[in-house]
Order: sequence, then structure tokens, then C-alpha cells
Amino acid sequence: MARPEAKLKELKPAELKHEVGARRDLVVTLNRKSEPRLIPYGEDFLFEKLPAGTRVIYPPPPLDALPDPDLAIRYALLHPLNADPLFAQLNPNMRVTIAIDDLSLPLPQMRRPDIRERLLNQVLQTLADYGVDDVHIIIATALHRRMTESEIRRMVGERAFKQFWPDRLYNFDGENRAEIVMLGKTAHNEEVWLSRRAAESDLVLYLNINLVPMDGGHKSVAVGLAPYQSLRHHHNPETLRDSHSYMDPTRSALHSSANRMGRIVNQQINVFSIETAVNTQMYGGMLDFLQKNEDRFNDWDRLRLKGFRWTLGNMSNDLRRQALHQYAAPYGMTGVWAGETETVHREALARVFQQYAVPVKGQSDILIVGVPYICPYNVNSIMNPVLVQCTGLGYLFNMYRNKPLVKPGGTMIICHPLRDEFHPEHHPSYIEFFHRCLAETNDAPQLSKQFEAEFARNPTYTHLYRYGHAYHGVHPFYMWYWGEPARQHLGRVIAAGCEEPEVAARMGWESADTLAEAIAMATADHGRSATITYLHLPPLVIADVE
Amino acid sequence: MSVYDQNKKRNGGAVRGAAFYDLDGTLMGLNLIHGTLFAFTNIGEWSGRVSYVIGLAARLPLLYLAERRDRHLLNVTLFEMFKGISRDRLTMLGEEYCDRILMANMYPRAVEMVAANREAGLEPVLVTGSPEFIVAPLARRLGIETFAANRLVYSRGLATGRLHNPVMAGEAKAAWCAEYAGANRISLGASWGYADSHYDLPFLAALGHPVAVNPDRRLLAVARSRQWPVVRFDKAAGIRSAGGIGPGAVEDWLEGKFDGAARG
Repeated sequence: MARPEAKLKELKPAELKHEVGARRDLVVTLNRKSEPRLIPYGEDFLFEKLPAGTRVIYPPPPLDALPDPDLAIRYALLHPLNADPLFAQLNPNMRVTIAIDDLSLPLPQMRRPDIRERLLNQVLQTLADYGVDDVHIIIATALHRRMTESEIRRMVGERAFKQFWPDRLYNFDGENRAEIVMLGKTAHNEEVWLSRRAAESDLVLYLNINLVPMDGGHKSVAVGLAPYQSLRHHHNPETLRDSHSYMDPTRSALHSSANRMGRIVNQQINVFSIETAVNTQMYGGMLDFLQKNEDRFNDWDRLRLKGFRWTLGNMSNDLRRQALHQYAAPYGMTGVWAGETETVHREALARVFQQYAVPVKGQSDILIVGVPYICPYNVNSIMNPVLVQCTGLGYLFNMYRNKPLVKPGGTMIICHPLRDEFHPEHHPSYIEFFHRCLAETNDAPQLSKQFEAEFARNPTYTHLYRYGHAYHGVHPFYMWYWGEPARQHLGRVIAAGCEEPEVAARMGWESADTLAEAIAMATADHGRSATITYLHLPPLVIADVE
Repeated sequence: MSVYDQNKKRNGGAVRGAAFYDLDGTLMGLNLIHGTLFAFTNIGEWSGRVSYVIGLAARLPLLYLAERRDRHLLNVTLFEMFKGISRDRLTMLGEEYCDRILMANMYPRAVEMVAANREAGLEPVLVTGSPEFIVAPLARRLGIETFAANRLVYSRGLATGRLHNPVMAGEAKAAWCAEYAGANRISLGASWGYADSHYDLPFLAALGHPVAVNPDRRLLAVARSRQWPVVRFDKAAGIRSAGGIGPGAVEDWLEGKFDGAARG
């Protein structure tokens, strides 16, 4: 029988060659004969002709998935990095806490079995084999909404759910004051608070999925199992302004702060990290055309695109939203590593960049992005305007290393209908934030000073976070702060295809009925020789801007 | 139109808010009929009890119809049946009902929220259609100084079956809140309101931060369409488990609830 290692050559030379070859045409300059481009537009897609000379950046094709993910996980547990194997750390009398990422990733949700289910099954089996009974599974929601029973069941799988739900499998509660403890302070005077259960465990296992490079590492335990008291030290306008970018942990003040806190955690708690990376196989089967270069569309692709857009256009809003959120992506696992947090994360990051990074020459005057129907904070929910802002200015603007894709003072065009629409169960504090706070100011430091504490301690929002399925009262502030580096960098933001201009105006944006109009507005500023870049989604791409 | 409409910021420069709570179905899982039945089954002579209870049973269809039409009518119809009961008796029954029944049926998380709102600077105010003889002892036990309840008219110590104006239902609640806010320099725009019934819509709509608590079908539909928060309270982890119901029970329970190690 072949040794597990033999099966774990994650990228064979032949596959690697193929992958490099496929990366040739990832930056495409359009001419007058180029096909229209597909642009995410909320719960729809635009299919728009872009001006000649526009540079389109395509995501790299998906890396090959590991042929046997379960075997790879077992191998990682037996051969951890810079740590003893999991089995060697176990004894029957110990207290073990397993923390797992919540539903904010991957996006869209992945087809079953979810990677977390695979990881849990292996880990739980190992714990059972060594007689460890005192095991809790905590969903590391931090200040995100509590996942529902059915969402948890789908994520962890039947085995873990039947055995642990609800007493030993539950959502983290950052407002249960009896269940959080302070571990200490960093050299920067940042308070490190953590789940009491995790803090009092002999071993904490963190099961992670790295969708993008900002995930994982110390951000897992020190953020996922931490309350407001800890998060406020890095989720604030000053720290986020100093992050260039969120996708480049080496130049992100957010990550530096999380790392400082994580090191305090790891000094006091035995943390065994298990990180995984996934490829960009977001849309497969009948929807695989969404990830293709439009110039290579064949008749079958065009027919499917027309059918897809017709179907979306003829659905009611609720049905369309439900259908889109129920879609499950055929992601493949491209790597799994276990052991000491920082070593593991280095390996995972390298694989993630291998998947996403595209070299790009120079910045442009205008950056066009389409904001899709989903972001980490509206799974099975509504993409409200604050989240559109977070996705556009927070995530898509930050999809770079070295320099932003757009020049300082440049224009970002965000394609989204921008409706004054919120999910009252999931985002109650967002409604007040948008209608009351943003009506007064959209300056992040001022918002932080004037309103943050009130929302963070609001009893109704706290109740809805703890017992309902609402994001924490302070969460909309974090979403707003997330856009702060982009606001500091950009000269203008134009919402293209905006249905409610007053929504754009409240966020300090301009609005245009169509993308063509938005481009005309932007070129009026930058001149007819303005350079334009379109960041093509789906799936995801990170531009290494020279 | 936004619920944060600036027009709701009445009373000049007042920025202090209050938290206005409905009682039945909002802070506790009982309703007006239950309190009435308790009073009728505890009014001295057994013959009197029988006649009041039979009277209540006979009027149930009428009460049902009144409830369907108008909460004001329901209150008037229901309190008519108290005619002839002495003020002393009702006061004593109110205390007993509060101790034996109400405190055990308060939603623990509702009590927690009242305390948390108070800590956040929102003065608690009860605005309810329940009778004063029940609400007054309850407010005392919860440490709530201000309440608006229905007040029976007494003549020579006996209830006449009529109510003082305003009868606390629907728009009268909203009007009372506006008057109270005006007199106490409270901003309605900065105030929170908690209620469970669509009859409380005018009351909720008058406040800057309306919250539907365990809403009925119609209020839920309104809350969804106006994007109001919807809160669910239940009786899980009741107060009784804190060790006895008495005037200090709620305080003891709250103290235990908030006295986590992390706090200190």
C-alpha cells in the first residue's frame, strides 16, 4: 500500500506546467471588437461593452484540488509543522475545545461535505480514539450573527451535529460576560480577551478555511473567539487606515495587531492550528461560463448567459435571493497544514497567493468593480448599502499587494443597484447606523467617537446578537471603517446602475444610471486618456501591482 | 420614510431618551384576562366568586368581538365587570397576583433588558392597558418609578365599572408618551418602545426606536415592512430558579446575572 506521503504531492509537475500556461491571458486590454464584459450587479449581472483600452484583470484558473482530501487531512494531523502530532498531545482527562470558522466563508457556501465537516470528522475520531470526552465545538463567530441550527448542521455534518448539538456545539457569545476572560495586554496596550472555555482548555484546535489571504493565522483564535473588548483595538479607523492592504498581511496594521494578540493567546494556551486552502472553483457545471474570458465565449456559453440572466430577471426578488444563496460552489481543497499557528499560516498563505496573485503593471485612473449578491456578512441575507460599501471599498479595493490598482485621487466605479434594503433580523443596528449616524456624518473617526460606544452597548442590539441572529450592534461601524483606506486613497466613488441616488449620496458617493454614464463622469475628471481597469469577478483575484 | 425621521425629535433640544414598555405579552407571558380571572376567583365569598366568574364566561364572546374590533372597546367592556369590588380588595389582590403569578411569569430576558436599558441611560416607563392595582405593585418590584395604566373609577370605595380617561389603548398610549416626554424634556426620537400587538402600532410609531416583542402576525408584518427590530422573549431560565419570589428577587437575579468574573 502506498504511503500517505506519496499521495500527497499536491501539485504534480505536469499540473503545475498546465497552470502556468493557463495564466498567460489574465490581463487583457480590450479593443473595439472585444465582447461585452460580464459584471456582477447585486443579484444580477451586467453584460456591458467597456471602452477600448480598458484593462481587464481575470482571476487565475483554479489550482488542482487534492485528489483525496481526507487522506491529506490525516497526513497533516500526523505530520504537523513545528508541533507534536495531534495524537501525541492527547490524554483522556484533558479538556479540548475545537473552534471553527463560521458561515462567512467560503463564499458562496461550498458543496457538502464542507471542509469543516471533513476536518471535524477526522479530529473527533482521533479524540475519541484517545479517550478524550470533554470536547466542546465553538463556532468562532466573534461579533457575527449566530448561525442557525440548519446552517450549523449543514456545515459540521450529521456526525458532529448529532453528537454535540446543542450543549457541546454552539456559537460563541461575546456578550456573555461570565464566559469571557482577559488574558493580558500586548506591548501596545491592547487588551486580549477570549472565550473562557477556550482559555481554560488544555488544547484548542482551530479548524480554518483560507478563502483569501486576510483569513487564518492569529486572526482565527484571537479574533474569532474574542469579544468587542479585544476587537476594538484593531477594528478602528486608525488601524485600518494603516493597512495596505488587508490582503497583504505583511503590510496590514490590522494583521499586526491580531498577531500581537495571538501571540499572547498562544503563550497561555496550547493552540493547534489546522488551516486549509481552497481553489477558485466557485462556479462549475452550467455556470462555468461566469469564470471565462468573454472573448472566448462560444454559442453555448452565450445561450447559457442569456438563459441565466432571463431566469434571474423573471424571478421575484425573494426567490432570486433564495436561489442565489442556496447555490453551493464545487470548491476543491488545495492544501491542508496543521501545527503551530504561524508556521502553518505561512504555508497556507503561500498556497493562497499561488492561487490568486496576478502580476499587473501600473495603476489606473479609474477602477471598475461589480459588487455581487454576497459578501461575508450577508450569507442567506440581504446585501444592504453598508455592506455594498464594505465589499466595494473594503474588499475589492484591497485586492492588491504593493500598490492599489487605482491611482491616488482616482475614481472607483462600483456597479450595484444600491437599494435602501436591510434584513431586520440579521442587521438591525445597520438600519439605525445608515439612517441616523450616516445622516449626520460619514467621517469614520467622527462616527467612532460619536456613536460607536452607544451601539456597542445598546441593550436591544446586544439581546438580538445573543439570542436572535443579529450581527452585534457595533458591526456596521466596523463595516464602515473597513472602507477607510479606500476613502483616504480615492478621489471619487460612483455607483453605477444605482436605483436610489439618495442611498449613494448618504455614503458620500455619486450615482449614475448606467455604467457608460459613470465612465463618462469619471473620464470628465481624468481626461479622455484616462486609464481604466476592470477587476473581473467571479471568482477572486489579487493584483500584484508593480 | 425612515424610522429615524428627524421630525420625531420633538421637545426642542431634549436628547435624553426613555424606554417605554407595554406589559402584557411584552415583559411577561400573561394577558389582561388572566389577571381578571385571578381577581374574580379571589374576591372573598364563594358566591361572589361564582357570579363574577360566570359573568366573565358569559361575556367571553363579547370580549372576543371587542378585541377583534378595538382594544379600547375591550378595555371598557372588561373593566365594566369589576363593578362592585372594593378598592381595598383589589389593591390586596394586585399585590398577591404580582407576587404569586406575575413575577414568575416575567420573561427573564425582558427584565434583563429593562435593567440594561436603565444602565444605558434610558429611564424605564410602563405604558399598559392593565389596571393600576396590578401595575403599581409590579412597577415597585421592578424599580420602575413611572407607569401609565388604566385607572378604575371608584365610588365610596367600590369600583363603578368605568375607567378614568385616557383609556390606555392604541393612540392614547402614543398621546400619553408625547405628553410625558414634553413634560420631562425627553426626546421621543431618542426613545425606545417595546410592544407585542398591532394595536400598539401608534405607540410604537411615535418613538424613534420601535421594537416588536413576540409580535402578533399583523405587527410582525408591519415590523418587517418598516424594518423594525423583532425581539423574542421566552420563559426559559425563569426568575423562580434564582431562589424565591419576593420584592428583592428580581434584583438578586439580576445581580447574579451580571456578576460575571469578567466584569470585575
